[in-house]
Amino acid sequence: MATTVDPKQLNNTLDDPAERSPLVLGGLDYEGVTDTAAAVWDAERPPMVWWVLLLIALSLLGLLGACVNHLLMAGTGVWGNNNPVYWGWPIVNFVFWVGIGHAGTLISAILFLFRQNWRTSINRAAEAMTIFAVVCAGLFPGVHIGRVWVFYWLFPIPTEHLAMWPNFRSPLLWDVFAVSTYATVSLLFWYMGMVPDIATFRDRTRSKIGKFIYGILSLGWTGSSRAWHHYEIAYTILAALATPLVLSVHTIVSFDFAVSQLPGWHTTIFPPYFVAGAIFSGFAMVVTLLVPARKLCGLENLITIRHLENMNKIIMATGMMVGMAYGIEFFMAWYSGVEFEQFALSNRAFGNYAWAYWIMVSCNVLAPQVFWFKWCRTTPWFMVIVCIFVNIGMWFERFVITITSLSRDFVPSSWSYFHPTWVDISMLVGSFGLFFTLFLLFCRFMPIIAMAEVKSIMPVEDGHH
Amino acid sequence: MANETNNSSDKELVGLLAQFDDPTSLLAACNNAREAGYTKMDAYTPFPVHGIDPALGIKRSFLPFIVLAVALGAVVLGLGMQFYTNGGGIGDWSTDEAAIFPGYRFMISGKPYFSLPANIPVTFEVIVLSSAFATFFGMWIINRLPRLSNPLHRVSRFKRVTNDKFFLMLEAKDDKFDASDSEAHLNQWGAVAIEEVNQDLTDTKLPSWMAPAALIGALLLLIPPVAIFSVYGSTNRKPRLHVVPDMDWQHKFKTQVLSPNIAEKDDPVYLFENRRAMRQPVEGSVRFGSLEDDSEMFRGIKKEFSGQAATVGLKSNVLASTAVQEEENPDQWITGFPEGFKVNEDTLARGKQRFEIYCSVCHGYAGNGDGLVNQRAIALAANGKASWTAAKSLHDPTVTDSVKNPTGRIYDTITNGRNTMGPYRDQIPVEDRWAIVAYVKALQATGITAPGAEATESEAEEAGEPEADESAEPAAETTEPEAEASEADDADTE
Amino acid sequence: MHETRPAKITSPIVDLGGAHLKLMPIALIVGAIGVGLTYALYAFDLQRFSHIYLVNFAFVLTMCIGCLFFVTISHLTRAGWNVTVRRIAELYAQCLPVLFILFLPILIPLLFSNDGLYVWNQAGWSIDGASTTVIAELNEADAKLPPLEELKKAYLNKTFFAIRWVVYFCIWGGMATFFLRTSLKQDQTGDKKLTSRMQAFSAPAMIAFAASVVFSSMDLLMSLEPLWFSTMFPVYFFAGSVLSALALITLTCLYLQRTGRITDEVTVEHYHDMGKLMFGFVVFWGYIAFSQFLLIWYANIPEETFWYEYRMSLTDGWGVLSIILLVGHLFIPFLFMMGRTMRRNKNLLLIAVIYLLVMHWIDLYWLVMPQYDRAYAHAIEPDGMIQFGVRTLLCDAACTVGVLGLFAGIFFLIVGDKPLVTLQDPRLGEALNHEVH
Repeated sequence: MATTVDPKQLNNTLDDPAERSPLVLGGLDYEGVTDTAAAVWDAERPPMVWWVLLLIALSLLGLLGACVNHLLMAGTGVWGNNNPVYWGWPIVNFVFWVGIGHAGTLISAILFLFRQNWRTSINRAAEAMTIFAVVCAGLFPGVHIGRVWVFYWLFPIPTEHLAMWPNFRSPLLWDVFAVSTYATVSLLFWYMGMVPDIATFRDRTRSKIGKFIYGILSLGWTGSSRAWHHYEIAYTILAALATPLVLSVHTIVSFDFAVSQLPGWHTTIFPPYFVAGAIFSGFAMVVTLLVPARKLCGLENLITIRHLENMNKIIMATGMMVGMAYGIEFFMAWYSGVEFEQFALSNRAFGNYAWAYWIMVSCNVLAPQVFWFKWCRTTPWFMVIVCIFVNIGMWFERFVITITSLSRDFVPSSWSYFHPTWVDISMLVGSFGLFFTLFLLFCRFMPIIAMAEVKSIMPVEDGHH
Repeated sequence: MANETNNSSDKELVGLLAQFDDPTSLLAACNNAREAGYTKMDAYTPFPVHGIDPALGIKRSFLPFIVLAVALGAVVLGLGMQFYTNGGGIGDWSTDEAAIFPGYRFMISGKPYFSLPANIPVTFEVIVLSSAFATFFGMWIINRLPRLSNPLHRVSRFKRVTNDKFFLMLEAKDDKFDASDSEAHLNQWGAVAIEEVNQDLTDTKLPSWMAPAALIGALLLLIPPVAIFSVYGSTNRKPRLHVVPDMDWQHKFKTQVLSPNIAEKDDPVYLFENRRAMRQPVEGSVRFGSLEDDSEMFRGIKKEFSGQAATVGLKSNVLASTAVQEEENPDQWITGFPEGFKVNEDTLARGKQRFEIYCSVCHGYAGNGDGLVNQRAIALAANGKASWTAAKSLHDPTVTDSVKNPTGRIYDTITNGRNTMGPYRDQIPVEDRWAIVAYVKALQATGITAPGAEATESEAEEAGEPEADESAEPAAETTEPEAEASEADDADTE
Repeated sequence: MHETRPAKITSPIVDLGGAHLKLMPIALIVGAIGVGLTYALYAFDLQRFSHIYLVNFAFVLTMCIGCLFFVTISHLTRAGWNVTVRRIAELYAQCLPVLFILFLPILIPLLFSNDGLYVWNQAGWSIDGASTTVIAELNEADAKLPPLEELKKAYLNKTFFAIRWVVYFCIWGGMATFFLRTSLKQDQTGDKKLTSRMQAFSAPAMIAFAASVVFSSMDLLMSLEPLWFSTMFPVYFFAGSVLSALALITLTCLYLQRTGRITDEVTVEHYHDMGKLMFGFVVFWGYIAFSQFLLIWYANIPEETFWYEYRMSLTDGWGVLSIILLVGHLFIPFLFMMGRTMRRNKNLLLIAVIYLLVMHWIDLYWLVMPQYDRAYAHAIEPDGMIQFGVRTLLCDAACTVGVLGLFAGIFFLIVGDKPLVTLQDPRLGEALNHEVH
């Protein structure tokens, strides 16, 4: 090991064009990476904080369970959805969670295709986050159908009883296909990426149950070069498939709104604008999760400040894309000369829901601007605060789009104001319980860092030592 | 050095496993092995080592081609699924007749049944899903995984392969392989440690408890499907389980029922004054797409007379008003065909087909008034078991007379009925009615009459049949005496 | 085994070596003749000439804008692999300020007469005009609104239009000049700090760039039909620009290597990556084009659909062009560029980039010409569609050759004897040793 301390080992955010900053700090070698990444998993007992967090998450999950039960027993009338706001909080929550679920596959797939090596430390946790967010997202359309036990009617399954098929001209059905495809492919991608690391756990564990479970999950992986060869090709193909898939999912979610004729919904910019927003909120959530996770799991040498800084830069860039889309919408409403569109947009900014609109603008457009300053984008506690604001802002963006346009539709006599009920609020809060429960379990029982991938981007040392 | 060399008969040498501590020396060893002529070997590494594929002579994976083939199949699958289920058809896809598949056809927001742009998103998702499955499962199959029992896993040193050590195995299957020579080679190439990998032949035997356990498991798995099928195939008299009662018994009134007393008191209150649970349409309201304002097409009445009565829309008005109108304006009927209807071979064929379905049962296939129902009814009437007005022959001079009975009037007869003939407007669509009119005119032009029909016709005329005097009285009861008379006549002629 | 190459330029020739002195006058003369000939052949019909000129001007402009984007995004993402092809993009981007001269044939008639390319500039323009029947009917009913043309004129008027274009060219020119100058300075000094400066500059520059592309695309092409609007349009314009710029950069590299220049610096690995990017942008273009179409088709609102209706009508002939675009701009390149072999074969790649450029030209033709058809050809000949005769084809081809000639002349002027590859970029070694896994 080198005896002189390289300044880059201390601060890898220094930008020297002549050489790339190290992405693994602390002078870790291969074994060191494994030991660091598996530290929380190795520990006999998880830290106390983990238990406390799990307890909180579980109680929120319990709240969610109670709400879902109440909803199924009493019907969707317990939500605040009314006439004309037929789509209330459930769709807002759905779009919010689906958006969160974009960063994982994006980090894995797009950054992989662009060979951004810094993705390797964060992609596993981000992918896991994707899966859990999609689970939360799927919950809302899932329970809104009322008779959840016949959810399979949404799929084109030939049943004699039903004697009917889904309507493929409806964007809501496209959503069913997009989100379920996305969940499936993300799961495959996540699992496939995890197999070599599960094999590490299999070879490391001392418990019998662990050996059995990890042994089965790792499928007998040996790290054979022939296997690696096919594996890498398959990984590239999956990444190439997942990239347009990520785009398509939020595009199709945006179609739910944009194919309609409702002012404020029918705008052609929606597909890329929704995708940018999804990446924006997804990255913000990754930062929110990983900053505490790297602290608790002792991963500072793997998830370095540079990783966080890069993510913050992406957050800033996508935040500005979203801001630009807000601007274009306003300009085009004026330019088009369509009075309904003009009303819808001015009503957003200055009408009943102006408070929500300005929360959205300040959280999404203004808050990330602090990342122009290096201190802001390299200080962990500060960036978490900004990212939480971004997440709040992105929730409000979906709220603004959904509620303002619906509550002021073409017929003034049906205008009304939307009030969420306690079930609405509890279900949103409860969905965070589901999300954090899954994430905490993942941190404890699964490889949170893609160890094999991190090792593959470490500089090859001179062999003879 | 190799340790624990065990040459007993239940073991078989698989190969020699050499450990290296870093990728560079592994890579060098791989190259050396290849140069030395080894072909059956494999390296095991904690991560994919760059440049090892050419060193080991690994050919490029053919997985992409499998995925491409599956993706192309998925295009067909995705589009075909939507084409089938939403009832696409070839040719004019907006009409019901064009359906070639029994899909679920439902008109949504004016889009064609098979709307290609709307089907792209789902097709895309199907492509991605299928390709992802092909990639995922294809990769494992090509790699012959899962393989849970592998002699390599018995080498304790090998546990480090998923951590930080690098291994090269020369397989015993290789022609070049020789246990001692190869070991020397590996040492020479810088191996840190060398181990024999042995296949434990007893591994292939299943533990004794496994077979019965598997059998029991399989039997247990059979229970749910058997239970489902037994319920499926039997009847059950118990009322079904109501999981969500307020969904099954909702607080609502179905259409077309009487409103119950909603006051829940002795003094009854009903939803609407007429005690219905639903509203009736406001008088004069017209269903969307049913504004039948082309009087020539829909009523057979010339345009200049169309304003005479507000008969548009509600069909109950039509019957009364045309009758009233006819008295006032005997020349109101159009004498040809409306603009929206073309007389040609197709429509005549259609008219023939419809005529034979709806009209021939009474009027007969040739229009002679000798349809089977007519014959049977006359026979019954002769025994006093029925009262029946004989169906008119369409070759009757009063019918063929184009002045007295222009096409518009024939159309009106089909639409609203005449005398004892009932209205057919609900059974036969407008265009088919005109097709029948055209066919009737064609029949009349042939002049074919049944033998002996002439006599009947003339007798009937003498008897003062209501048809002949163009009376507009619709009720069958009033014509009963004449009807009996003509029935008797008909019976005689038979 | 691969060996690490030293971060040094090894090609024998890295500049044009004086060839520009010979080529530039030829290109400029051919260009001037081509453009002048077109105007004359169209019997000095300013409208017809302006439209085909706009197609070609937009073709050249989009490629340069795309190159400017390529340079900016390279710095923004601290890309290392493309350092050796970045100079070509820098040189093309530097053409942007000079392109303002080519913009004058559009701007001057607009400024000094009530005529010219855009309907909104015409004296008698009103919503009852030939181009706008649909909305005219819609708005007739609503008398209390101010007439739509009044509203549009607040934005679409000659003065504001000219000011905007000066601003756009200032932004583009400023960015391009900064990047090229700094990069050339680095060729001399090899100073690492210059790279840092360009990286720092690229972030705010990108914002200005994005805003300028959004509004310039609306001004240049969308406002041809002043009543049509689509918030997606700038993205569509952007996708086409970047795709064509990637094709142009690749084409230039292939050409230069065939003439024995920069032979060592641009390797098959770079072509492979450029091919991947082009493939990506083919898909992106298809995604944007489809999304824009689907949303308008599905909602079926007359004030939007009329734009597509005209382009999809098979009887008017433009529908055929739409299908050519769908198949030729999306499906064929998608299948053709998917394979790895293709991207690593220089001959096939040459075919592909020329094909993509042709398709981009057709795309612009499809955006512009139906508008002429709608606004003017219908007025002249009620039958509609521009007559596709031999004469029209020859005239349009002459204009294309002319504008491309002028563009080539400008490019040679800009290149001069500057090196065609960055000589001392700190990431040169990374680019030279770049390898696609």
